[in-house]
Amino acid sequence: MLVDMAAKVHQLAAAPADGVAGLTQSFRSRESLADENERLTQENLILAGKTQRLAALIADNARYRTLMNAASLVSEELIVTRIIAVSPDPVRHAVWLDKGTRNGVQVGQALLAAEGLMGQVVAVGEGNSRALLITDSSHAVPVQVNRNGVRGIIEGTGQLSKMTLRHLPSTTDIAEGDLLVTSGLAGRFPPGYPVAEVTQVVMAPGQSFAEVEAKPLADLDRGNYALIVATQPAALDPAALDIAP
Amino acid sequence: MMVPANARWVIFATLFACLMLSALPLPISWSALRPSWAMLGLFYWVLALPHRVGMLSAALVGAILDLIEGAPAGGQALGLVISTALLQLNYQRVRQFDIWQQSIMMGLLLALTAVIERWVQDLLGFPAPGLRYLYPALVSIFFWPLVRELLRGIRRYYEVT
Repeated sequence: MLVDMAAKVHQLAAAPADGVAGLTQSFRSRESLADENERLTQENLILAGKTQRLAALIADNARYRTLMNAASLVSEELIVTRIIAVSPDPVRHAVWLDKGTRNGVQVGQALLAAEGLMGQVVAVGEGNSRALLITDSSHAVPVQVNRNGVRGIIEGTGQLSKMTLRHLPSTTDIAEGDLLVTSGLAGRFPPGYPVAEVTQVVMAPGQSFAEVEAKPLADLDRGNYALIVATQPAALDPAALDIAP
Repeated sequence: MMVPANARWVIFATLFACLMLSALPLPISWSALRPSWAMLGLFYWVLALPHRVGMLSAALVGAILDLIEGAPAGGQALGLVISTALLQLNYQRVRQFDIWQQSIMMGLLLALTAVIERWVQDLLGFPAPGLRYLYPALVSIFFWPLVRELLRGIRRYYEVT
């Protein structure tokens, strides 16, 4: 209920700006709309094409996974949501979304941008919800290096373009430019979504841990829309893990 | 002798407008540069009409600010109540200050509020390293003259007592 109230206040505060934006939107010329329509049609075609390949890949992947007795990836259901407000607190990276329990949003669901993981839902109201971004200083995500599967936990620092991977032994194989994806451990985030790219690795001699910095892939400060991953990852099926001795 | 209240709605209206300014959407990277409009507005009314606007109003404004920031409830409310109490104890002195002295005073009160809020949030397990949380107090120093002149004009025009 508090989430809904806060969202209402934010919507009220943003009403003048939204009004102007809506007005310019409705007075756009026919040509520009036609252009956009064409561009979107093409984009849609490309994306549809890519999805077709994806379907084949998913099928392949599922086959390999059954061969390896691993738990299968569930296909996630996505909810498109609009970011209606950003927390005015400079040390808190939180956003309000325009979907709530009514639309199937639950606490703990992951929030995605086009480029990667954005955050997670921390509070839901009936028609709105609040999400914490991955760069908030109280947020952490279990990740793994895409190249070799090294696992770690990436933490926000309160700065938009900097995250840190802590407690990685200084002998770990990790390098600048490595892609970090969600590992799915702890069950909160679905596995396989890109989170950040390693920007700096400092292996100080005499230190037991490497200092690893990364930059989130999602544009946390841009864009109006995000996706909520509506289905929780299925619990590991014990039968699938029952490897014969 | 208590003067009967006149045009009390003006106080509510201006505080509401200040709260809206505080909730105005800004990119995250800019949010540290936002002056604390609502707190400045509150402090103006405490300074001008200490018998009308006090700690209860401060708690209310603080609670609404906590709500719109999605912060664990009570941090800013507690901070604002304490700084408002200090201002109420010293309002006669602060009224005599010249404008920049007053601005710095407001900055200090806002910094105190921010520190108390930070303290509450740290205790609740929401740490925030660095001194970024103090930037709004610093920025607000330069906005106090504007807020004061504007609200004084409004107060005199509507003869708020």
